[in-house]
Amino acid sequence: MLIKESLKSASTSIRSNIVRSFLTTLAIIIGTAAVIAVIGLGSSANKALDAQIDDFGPRTLVVSPGQNRRGAVTKGFIPLDIKDAEALAKNKEHNWMVSPYISRNRQVKFNNANINQRIRGNLPIHFKVRGYDIEYGRIFSEEENFGRKRVVVLGSAVPKELKTSPQNILDKEVLIAGTGYKVIGVLEEEGNTGWQSPDEELYVPLLTGAQRLFGTKNVDSINVGVEKNANVDEIMMSIERILRAQHDIGPGADNDFNINDYSQFSDLRRQATGIFTALIAGIAGISLVVGGIGVMNIMLVSVTERTREIGLRKALGATHKAIMSQFIVEAILLCVIGGCIGVVLGTSILYLLASLQDWPFAMPFSAIIGSITFSAMVGLFFGIWPARKAAKLDPAISLRYE
Amino acid sequence: MIEVSNIKKVFQLGQQKVEALKGINLKVEKEDFVSIMGPSGSGKTTLMNIIGCLDTPTSGNYHLNNQLVSELDDDALARIRNQEIGFVFQSFHLLAKNSALDNVLLPTKYAGTNIDEATKRAKHVLDQVGLTDRMNHGPSELSGGQQQRVAIARALVNQPSILFADEPTGNLDSKTGDDVMNLFKELNRQGQTIILITHEEDVARQSKRIINIKDGLIESDLKI
Ligand SMILES: Nc1ncnc2c1ncn2[C@@H]1O[C@H](COP(=O)(O)OP(=O)(O)O)[C@@H](O)[C@H]1O
Ligand SMILES: [Mg+2]
Repeated sequence: MLIKESLKSASTSIRSNIVRSFLTTLAIIIGTAAVIAVIGLGSSANKALDAQIDDFGPRTLVVSPGQNRRGAVTKGFIPLDIKDAEALAKNKEHNWMVSPYISRNRQVKFNNANINQRIRGNLPIHFKVRGYDIEYGRIFSEEENFGRKRVVVLGSAVPKELKTSPQNILDKEVLIAGTGYKVIGVLEEEGNTGWQSPDEELYVPLLTGAQRLFGTKNVDSINVGVEKNANVDEIMMSIERILRAQHDIGPGADNDFNINDYSQFSDLRRQATGIFTALIAGIAGISLVVGGIGVMNIMLVSVTERTREIGLRKALGATHKAIMSQFIVEAILLCVIGGCIGVVLGTSILYLLASLQDWPFAMPFSAIIGSITFSAMVGLFFGIWPARKAAKLDPAISLRYE
Repeated sequence: MIEVSNIKKVFQLGQQKVEALKGINLKVEKEDFVSIMGPSGSGKTTLMNIIGCLDTPTSGNYHLNNQLVSELDDDALARIRNQEIGFVFQSFHLLAKNSALDNVLLPTKYAGTNIDEATKRAKHVLDQVGLTDRMNHGPSELSGGQQQRVAIARALVNQPSILFADEPTGNLDSKTGDDVMNLFKELNRQGQTIILITHEEDVARQSKRIINIKDGLIESDLKI
């Protein structure tokens, strides 16, 4: 009964001062919108990251050349070569996919088009490790690799850069560094993953590349695709053991190669996003509190303006508690309305940003409930003082107030 | 039912002390209709506030229905104002954004009366003051006389034992003022105890008893 009367008088009071109420809640609206947008942005970014990791196919360890140091003398980079990759591939302890590659920029010509593009020499398994799918034609085979055949698979953006279409270039020859290669396939669009642009590259068999294009057996790095739930530590130890034997590294000497687990970076990035989100949301939360001070200020003004009304209500039998509840409910209602508008605004901002950035849209329901609850608490907290001021008014004096 | 003995009230205005009541003794029985008369500033409103439990005396005793009021806490006083006392003010004091019916319902909200019962009673008192057809209008759509009648209905809705009216005709023209006085006389005939404050002789003469106050003291107390 009391709450109903409080709600009624609160909504009447807010509606009869609609412009002032709106201006008062503006800081609450902006604060909630900011909190909501930032939290949403964080979880959208994480969702995008998850999608990226899934795109990456199986979990991948990257073995890259490192420095060999004996004492203080650095001997420079010790290369990894095709033999190292073969040694890893030969090992059957683990169910892994070993994918070495060499990549360099070379001149590519087709009809009149002439571009400088990244050429990657890799094994057929590379496409599986990376989760790349073919859209036109086929990928090259083991036999073509062993036969050093001049065949090439194009990234999805390459035909356009060569001023043609996938259909037109398929089964034709392109000139790579002046030599003809037959286009046997075009990949699906994979999208950039931050550190790689698979759509822009041309893929040739590893041995073809090593012998005909790059003139080296040293690979840039070796990707080792492992099963999702594989024991990564054990696999890293196996790789280390095989490569140390391969490179004749004696006991106690340092590795001359590095093994990286990219999913570690993903975890780190997720953590960093989480911390960043919490930080910004916290700062935005401060503006909510500042908004609460604005609400308190207006409520104090409202109590003074309504002194006679408060006196009357007391004369009609309103208790201390009844007057308190009337003004606290009004403060909470103001903040909750502001919070709801803020949620709608923040969600819209996030939706806009997510669609511009091509991110998946993710708005945790808990963030919506949480920020509305928080603004209600701000209203409760900053409503207490004005409400007490109202409840403590002397009825006889209040009724005389002009 | 009202028994006031040697009540004094002193207001502190900065350094200055204002002695509004200087020792009032007064008894009012059930179903009486009392006018309190006196010039402006003589202490009439102060006296009404004290016997209406809106204010406390500086000294003296006040018994309402054999209960010593100074012993009661704030919540008990609020309950008495809600249940035992009805106020009518010179300036109506209606809530501007609420309809006549909602204004009349307000005291029942603080009593916690069930809404159906409350609405029934509110409609009954609005009928008593002759405003059944205007109950959904707001104060701005009502004349001064009608607004004061809404205020009277509001004062009656919780069936109080005493009705206080502080210069209820002060803001009305003489015709509507007469209407309001006729309403009070009718209510008193039905058994309502009324204490009326006025400084108009011909208004006071319509009651059963006239008390004259001057400078915070009772000058005369006459039955008509
Ligand atoms: N709250 C107050 N503070 C100080 N002085 C007051 C207060 N209320 C009333 N007074 C003074 O007490 C005296 C009596 O006032 P009041 O009871 O309102 O008289 P009346 O109603 O007869 O005009 C006046 O001098 C008035 O100024
Ligand atoms: Mg007065």
